[in-house]
Amino acid sequence: MTPLALLFTSQLTHLGPVDIAILLLYFAMVIFIGFYVKGSTNTSEEFFLAGREMSAWIAGLAFVSANLGSLELMGWAGSAYQYGILATHWYWIGAIPAMLFLGIVMMPFYYISKTHSVPGYLQLRFGEGARALSAVSFGFMTVLMSGVNMYSMALVMKVVLGWDITFSIWVGAITVAIYVTLGGLRSAIINEVLQFVLIWAGAALIPILGLIEAGGWSNLKVLITARAGVEYTHMWSTLGHYSSNPMGVNWTGIVFGLGFVISFGYWTTDFLVVQRVLSANNLRAARLAPIIGAAFKMFVPFFVIIPGLLALVLLKDSSGHLIQLYPDGSPEVLHGAHSFNEVLPLMMVRYLGPGLLGLGITALIAGFMSGMAGNVSAFSTVWTYDIYGAYINKKASDKHYVAMGRWSTVIGMGVSIITAYWVMGAASIMDYVQQLFSFFIAPLFGTVILGMLWKRATKAGGFWGLLAGTGASIFMWQMVLHDKTNIRFMILEPHASADTIDRVQAMAANLYRGLWSWVVCVLVTVIVSYMTKPTPDSELVGLVYGTTIIPDDGSNKIYEKPIFWAVVVATVLFILNLWLW
Amino acid sequence: MSTPDPSTEQSLSIWFFVGVLTLGSGLIIFCQGIYEFSHPATTILADLHPAFWWGLLMTLFGAFYTLRFRPGKG
Repeated sequence: MTPLALLFTSQLTHLGPVDIAILLLYFAMVIFIGFYVKGSTNTSEEFFLAGREMSAWIAGLAFVSANLGSLELMGWAGSAYQYGILATHWYWIGAIPAMLFLGIVMMPFYYISKTHSVPGYLQLRFGEGARALSAVSFGFMTVLMSGVNMYSMALVMKVVLGWDITFSIWVGAITVAIYVTLGGLRSAIINEVLQFVLIWAGAALIPILGLIEAGGWSNLKVLITARAGVEYTHMWSTLGHYSSNPMGVNWTGIVFGLGFVISFGYWTTDFLVVQRVLSANNLRAARLAPIIGAAFKMFVPFFVIIPGLLALVLLKDSSGHLIQLYPDGSPEVLHGAHSFNEVLPLMMVRYLGPGLLGLGITALIAGFMSGMAGNVSAFSTVWTYDIYGAYINKKASDKHYVAMGRWSTVIGMGVSIITAYWVMGAASIMDYVQQLFSFFIAPLFGTVILGMLWKRATKAGGFWGLLAGTGASIFMWQMVLHDKTNIRFMILEPHASADTIDRVQAMAANLYRGLWSWVVCVLVTVIVSYMTKPTPDSELVGLVYGTTIIPDDGSNKIYEKPIFWAVVVATVLFILNLWLW
Repeated sequence: MSTPDPSTEQSLSIWFFVGVLTLGSGLIIFCQGIYEFSHPATTILADLHPAFWWGLLMTLFGAFYTLRFRPGKG
């Protein structure tokens, strides 16, 4: 939603006393948890990694919840309205295989290396250069993302409830600052679990009531086909060519760009989510946590994608005519029409009366605050361990680092507030900040995966590969920003039509940029590694396959083994994709 | 998946917080649902009384978790 939209969109609804009671109950509990947890957050291990004592279920729910921000929920519900069921790919092939891979293949290395962070692993494997590059870029990005979350929450509260933007920014920021500064990651994780439950409780009624109104799933598909076309209800059969589906993507983009590079990059190397799993209390819990997260992730489309699809055929005005939604910033939105991103709040208002509406709004606010808390807690960890502790003050006491963690949380929130006001002044910054993440994530995955699986990769190879991949990503982004028709080189179709370019531009450009930047990173890493002296095996113990004996995780029976549950989740995912082929 | 949950060894478990929040919200929604039998909401499908049934479900879920993970139960 753009700031301009505020000027023309009147608020959708207002909260009654019952709704406010639920909202206040949530805020009271969040603040209480911060003060309660502070008593058991005294060492750096407790503050930054929640004492590494979380069970698989808690680490798994926090892992999936850290990615279940409200910005994402509202955005993907809008994408489902705009592109149909294709949006589900971002939840299934775009997440589940990577989460299972993290649990089965990568987690043992993160866990037994006893690293505190992903940049910390890079330091152990590739030295200081790779760590500094990833720590600085990650720290910079997380505080900006926290600010984007903060502004988005304020904007949604303004559009939905008519709340003042400054009021929302400060209430959100102060609340998050209190509970993360006091309780660190432990406090953030507890709130992520609460947020997870709230989102399920607050949003699940929308698809249930919507499907009743539509006359069931089969009838919904018939209605969507009549209104928008049969391609809105199929996940794979329309992916033969860019022009045969509403998203302008073909199967190579979905499978290799999204399913491999973007998804694996995000779920296996973004410290924001990996940090949750590092808090697990043993190796088996650390391997099971992403698998439990994947099982829950598989069902998120039920309350994100289905409401978007339902809105296509059920969202009507008071005179019974279907409401048409438009892209943000379009002339129609500027003149008072609703945007795609408002689908979820509009469906909430349609089905949820007093009390239930308060629960839904509380879930959205919890999602935004959890997004801020996740970013700021990851920032304080990377700042304290990988920047401050690594380069500024190497020999401080543990108590000093905990104090630095608390202070960096407060300062991180301060920078987030500045970012929020900055974004308010120029909405295009928000798009840039969100794209910045993709500059670093895809090449980082190339560096980490080669580091874990290929012992010949050297320190110089890792550093130069990461730098080249990141540079290639920024170059491609600039190239398309300068002239959007350049995108035809990224999709290997030099003679692509203007229509194809427009379709790819909207959604698929990130996928292809990620794919190519990963390829550049891997190629440069391999070439430089072969040009430089191999690292002795003795220095790679605990860091790379082939030099490391993975310790037994203690599971004896088949149903205790992480691989068993990974196969179960993968099988269900396969069946669901076949069903919606 | 039968590993003991260390978080429950603290005086207040994470699941206890989940239970209290769900129980509190559920009770509020349940009471609203009872009120709506005489003063129906203006939302679509309000005749199915979603507040009553959803509130009841949340109350039962929250009560179970609150009791199961109450302080001292361990």
